[in-house]
Amino acid sequence: MRTGVETVLNPFDEYAIEAALQVKEKAGADATVTIVTMAPDSGKEVVRKALAMGADDALLLSDAGCAGSDVWGTAYALAAAIKKYGFDLVVTGTQSTDAGTGELPGALAEYLGVPGLTYARKLELDGTTVRVERETDTGYQKISAPLPALVSVTKSANEPRYPSLKGIMGAKKKTIAALTLAELALDRPIGGDGAKTELIELADPPARGKARIVEAADGADGARIIVEFLKEKKLI
Amino acid sequence: MRDVIVSIEHTAGKPRRVSLEALSQAKEIAAALGGSVHAVVLGKGAREAAETLKGYPADKIHLSEDADIDAFLLDPQVDYLESVAKAAGPSLVLVPNTMVGRDIGSRLAARLDAGLTSDIVGLSVDGGKVACVSPKLGGITVTTCAFRGDYGVAAIRPNAFKAVPGAGAGEIVELAKPAGKTYAIRIDDEVVEAAGELGVEEASTVVSGGRGVGGPEPFKTILKDLADALGGAVGASRAAVDAGWISHGHQVGQTGKTIGPNLYIAVGISGAIQHKVGMRTAGTIVAINKDGTVPIGEFADLLVVGDLFEIVPQLTASVKELAAAHT
Repeated sequence: MRTGVETVLNPFDEYAIEAALQVKEKAGADATVTIVTMAPDSGKEVVRKALAMGADDALLLSDAGCAGSDVWGTAYALAAAIKKYGFDLVVTGTQSTDAGTGELPGALAEYLGVPGLTYARKLELDGTTVRVERETDTGYQKISAPLPALVSVTKSANEPRYPSLKGIMGAKKKTIAALTLAELALDRPIGGDGAKTELIELADPPARGKARIVEAADGADGARIIVEFLKEKKLI
Repeated sequence: MRDVIVSIEHTAGKPRRVSLEALSQAKEIAAALGGSVHAVVLGKGAREAAETLKGYPADKIHLSEDADIDAFLLDPQVDYLESVAKAAGPSLVLVPNTMVGRDIGSRLAARLDAGLTSDIVGLSVDGGKVACVSPKLGGITVTTCAFRGDYGVAAIRPNAFKAVPGAGAGEIVELAKPAGKTYAIRIDDEVVEAAGELGVEEASTVVSGGRGVGGPEPFKTILKDLADALGGAVGASRAAVDAGWISHGHQVGQTGKTIGPNLYIAVGISGAIQHKVGMRTAGTIVAINKDGTVPIGEFADLLVVGDLFEIVPQLTASVKELAAAHT
């Protein structure tokens, strides 16, 4: 079993790594977890942490041509790398802390050509069927699909482990394979040149001043202050 | 790009407001591009939803009640949307900026080799190019991005655009089942824990609780009552979610959802940076806290210092009285 994790180790990816490690532990000795990431060479440090948590090896797609990739380019290149490597299950986080968009898993599943089971708060492997509890706005859905598949996990899925000292020492001996765009032989450019959107303008948000601060004499007074304010703002 | 396609979300045949907002905005963009507006409404209840959609500016309303749409996760919807987009030619697709909307949007963008923008609060057309405005990095900056290529997918923020009734041609088009498709992700069960509730991303008012709320109970009682009275949803800070008082789906902030409701009421929330980045672009922010020096005072519009357990129920009663007086 091979498991990929997107880009840098942000808090969401730790949930993905933990989920992958738990699947591996249940699946048995011949299962392996591989970290897949698109990052500059400096990304190695982050990958080491994932290896220290217990992943077996890593694939680092590091290429100047990746710079400026949008969601599309990132998903396209990662899918090519993961396909080249081979996999049964791909686990990703749900969002990144900087952009926080949560769009990569769906696009990645499409480019991999496998079922994409997103927003998993629970993940179980039952033979070659993956079962997921998928968070929704009103509760959850129980969904299932055959492997190979992609699952994106939310922070409710688990409590990521801390790397042990043994894990940290062992991580130094694990392989981080480097991969370039040339090796992937993509049929179109990614990075800034291939991006499907272009930035036209960056602007400051409208300024938010300090609050009007009012002490409430009691509950009724507090309610009155808020009601007056909401009326003034035409919100009620 | 010429036409604008709107992916309609509905609950049992009732279109969600964000979809009506999208449809109204689609009309403006399509007019500027010289194209037409397509609404796509899918699954059980689509036909009923189409009746409501006739009151909004769609030139064509494409629908299907194919049973696969509700039996399998998202993929059938993506197939139908892809078929409409490919038949329409180069176009802009609007989806709601919600968990489901972005999930569909990202898959569709991959199919169409399209750019994808999310949390869009403004759309414009300049020289035939569609530009999207969205707050980024937790509202620290506002970006304007233009699509390159034939197709674009934009996830629009609920409550950012106005839903303006006004019928278009409203021609109903029954969609043919895409040929040769089989689906893998079966929906085995749907568990509804909070019936009829809007998600925090979609609600125009959000009442959130934090550490100061002290336990799980107030989320189900005083906060819920206030949210209901205001027609809103209940949110929470990370502290409350991590303490297990309410589920993660309600979390607003860096490791939760980024939202921009018209009104945000923060109850017992200090307003640390990880919370601030999830809600600072709300229209109006009201905070209730026992401490007048909390960080939220730096960016809220009103901070009322007092006992939340006394203020919130009184506020709920006042809001209900006002609502009753208006009817």
